[in-house]
Amino acid sequence: MNVLLFGLFVILLGGVLPQAFVRRPGAALRLHTLLLAAGSLCGLVGLFQAWQSGVTQALSIPWLGFSLLLSLDSLAGFFLLPVFLIAPLTALYGYQYLDTTQHSLRPVAGCFFFNLLICAMALVPLAADMIAFVVAWELMSFASFILVLYDWEEPQSRRAAHIYLLFSQSGAFAVFAAFGLLFAATGSFVFSATAFAALPQGVKLAAFVLALLGFGSKAGLMPLHIWLPHAHPAAPSHVSALMSGVMIKLGVYGILRMYFLLGDHSPIFAWIILVLGIVSGILGVAYALAKHDIKRFLAYHSIENIGIILIGCGLGMLGLATDEPIMAVLGFTGGLLHVLNHAIYKSLLFFCAGAVHRATATRTIDILGGLMRRMPITGRSFLTGSAAISGLPPLNGFVSEFLIYYAAFLGLRQDGFNLMLVVAAIIALAMIGGLATACFTKATGIVFLGEPRSAQASKATEAPPAMRATMLILSVLCLCIGFFPGPFIQAAFAALRDLGPMASSLSLLPGDLLTKISRNLTLIAWLFAALFLGLSALRRRAYRNKSVERGPTWGCGFTQGNSRIQYTGSSYAMSTVNFFRPLVLSRSQCTGLAQKLLPASAEYSSKAEDLAEVGLQHLLSRPVLWLAQKLRWIQHGRIQSYIAYIVLTIIVVLLLA
Amino acid sequence: MIGGIEIFLAVILLTVLFSLTSSRIMSLIKLMALQGALVSLIPVLLELESKLHAGGLILFTVMLTIKALIIPGLLYFALTRMAIMREVEPLIGYHSSVAAGLGLILVAAYIARQLNIAVEGVQPLVLITAITTLGGGLFLMMSRSKALTQVIGYLMLDNGIYLMGTALTRETRSIYLVEFGVLLDLLVAVMIMGIILNNISKTFDDVDTLDLEQLKD
Repeated sequence: MNVLLFGLFVILLGGVLPQAFVRRPGAALRLHTLLLAAGSLCGLVGLFQAWQSGVTQALSIPWLGFSLLLSLDSLAGFFLLPVFLIAPLTALYGYQYLDTTQHSLRPVAGCFFFNLLICAMALVPLAADMIAFVVAWELMSFASFILVLYDWEEPQSRRAAHIYLLFSQSGAFAVFAAFGLLFAATGSFVFSATAFAALPQGVKLAAFVLALLGFGSKAGLMPLHIWLPHAHPAAPSHVSALMSGVMIKLGVYGILRMYFLLGDHSPIFAWIILVLGIVSGILGVAYALAKHDIKRFLAYHSIENIGIILIGCGLGMLGLATDEPIMAVLGFTGGLLHVLNHAIYKSLLFFCAGAVHRATATRTIDILGGLMRRMPITGRSFLTGSAAISGLPPLNGFVSEFLIYYAAFLGLRQDGFNLMLVVAAIIALAMIGGLATACFTKATGIVFLGEPRSAQASKATEAPPAMRATMLILSVLCLCIGFFPGPFIQAAFAALRDLGPMASSLSLLPGDLLTKISRNLTLIAWLFAALFLGLSALRRRAYRNKSVERGPTWGCGFTQGNSRIQYTGSSYAMSTVNFFRPLVLSRSQCTGLAQKLLPASAEYSSKAEDLAEVGLQHLLSRPVLWLAQKLRWIQHGRIQSYIAYIVLTIIVVLLLA
Repeated sequence: MIGGIEIFLAVILLTVLFSLTSSRIMSLIKLMALQGALVSLIPVLLELESKLHAGGLILFTVMLTIKALIIPGLLYFALTRMAIMREVEPLIGYHSSVAAGLGLILVAAYIARQLNIAVEGVQPLVLITAITTLGGGLFLMMSRSKALTQVIGYLMLDNGIYLMGTALTRETRSIYLVEFGVLLDLLVAVMIMGIILNNISKTFDDVDTLDLEQLKD
């Protein structure tokens, strides 16, 4: 614990010290990256020590008359892992990604908030009482808000930051309400499972739902996700990677922590989580399919993956509720492992998207193309990440999704409503996997294959070495977890160790279950690798004596065929998006076609609106604005009447008192 | 029995009522000087019945200087720089203002009884006068449109607060210290008001705060 806290101190130092080198941003960023890497290493060492000792370590810090309680148990430790793993890589990426030539102050100031965000993210799982948690949580929201505002001159960034602030603060409000409820019931700020266990079930359910609203909006749960597709594209890519890969997972942490603290295992909790997970998963991927902006597209995939994680956790909760220890353990283990996996491949994908954006100055998928040849490392990394996020073997996404599937199939022994939900979860998982594959074939195919569709795309060059290195490291990690899942499954499994209700389930587990699963997964991974290598060898053999040459495409009557006649992402996704039409409000406009005998210049545009966003606009924003407009006469600008308002209020208060 | 304090309090009440009827800003300023002097005398009179510290005396002298001389003086200079000598169109007429002032005394008496916090040895009249002065100041700010009159209303409000403090505390020095803080605020307020006044008159060729309505969004 001490090593870990020292690491946090070093990270904070890595935010403060570079401020002295504002005039030399290059040196400042180097110092920042170095200190952050050292701090993260300390953090990882601390985590490893805690994991080895197997004891929950606690620490109390007096502050403003409160005592802030920190404690490092197995669940907190597991959620700290992606923080310390991804943070130094994002900093290394940012070192070359950030433009230090135009604004020297901004990247250096950004360092401070970046490290503040990392410290806050590390403190959230460590917090063991309400005050400490709230402080860390708000610090995290604040630091990330500033980072979303990085390009503040652009109105889009400001709007995104505004929406993010709105959602994070209303979410925090819900969390505070949940804590207030628990404090009123127990009279103590400490997170104590024994104190919470005695609460009546109504209070527990109310507290859980309130906390779910708050944590869910941070995690990007449908329909509280509206901020996410705005904030991720607005922030610089390495910040998006950190936010999407690590920060939103802390929302999941909050939900899980709340669930285990309340210690109530009625099926209602599992139902809520499962239904929300299924909705987020399917709708997230459906919206992603309809998006044209590569970072927005990735943002919707974060929502989808949060859905998968929650399906895993929901299955675990269902297992606990119905005394199915194996299902419970596998569900939670799968969900937790998916947290780690998603952190890895989502950061990787955001890094690649950032590299593409940096090289081509555009994020619109449909005007890119042919980048695989121009940016080989970025392209292959993106391909790896795509395969991982689609849950394909032999990559890491497959491992965690397999565990969740396993839990779901064990759940088929349930009956009634539980069975229906479990079947729905299996169908949803399959659907999500299929749609995600469609999404990423679209993204990889349109962005990296084919011919460049615009001048920017044809002039793109490979990313600088530090950025390439981070992408390679993460790709190797993806493969590593895919080929050797054993230790990672064990780590996710060990995260459940300190959670009261899980301990009894763990003891009921057949000892060799996990080793058997990981052995089989390794076997599958090697089989796929062998298949892949074999097919590549066959292909090479088949092409060996044939010369490959470039020539014009068969024209279909168009003699002036150019690269813009290629298939676009929109047309590829169209049929699937149309299937989800009632839920994905996709609109397309086409002008100029078929008006005359000979076609003139024509335009086509399509956009998909988020149902939750449109709903919020209709149900909340518009009525509030309407009411505000109706009450405008109160604000008339006459000082005298304003004073009269004050006097009236005072008189009423005095007379009532 | 009518003692010195009662007479003083009655005169303060009269200044409040009179300020509500006067249309000339110059007479308002003079009234404020008188009221300030009387108000700062009240605690001394209350103390005379028991004892008076030397420190309290000094503080009282400073208070008297600021309330009766400096602030009215500042207002006087502000007035001489402007061409406006009278409040032309009050939002509430002078007659109704006096009627409202009389009503205010009734309400003050009711509130004073309702509050029920009069400390032993303090005449209940002090509290009533304090609330009336406070309310009168607020009323002046509400019903007049010239910026200078607003400042005067604010001053009267402060006098009311001061009297209220006197009524509620017997510890002389601490109340002076609190009051000094308030006075400092007031001085700053008068100066800021002077700047605003200057700007309003520059922008609108008048010092009518109703013109500020154009600034709302």
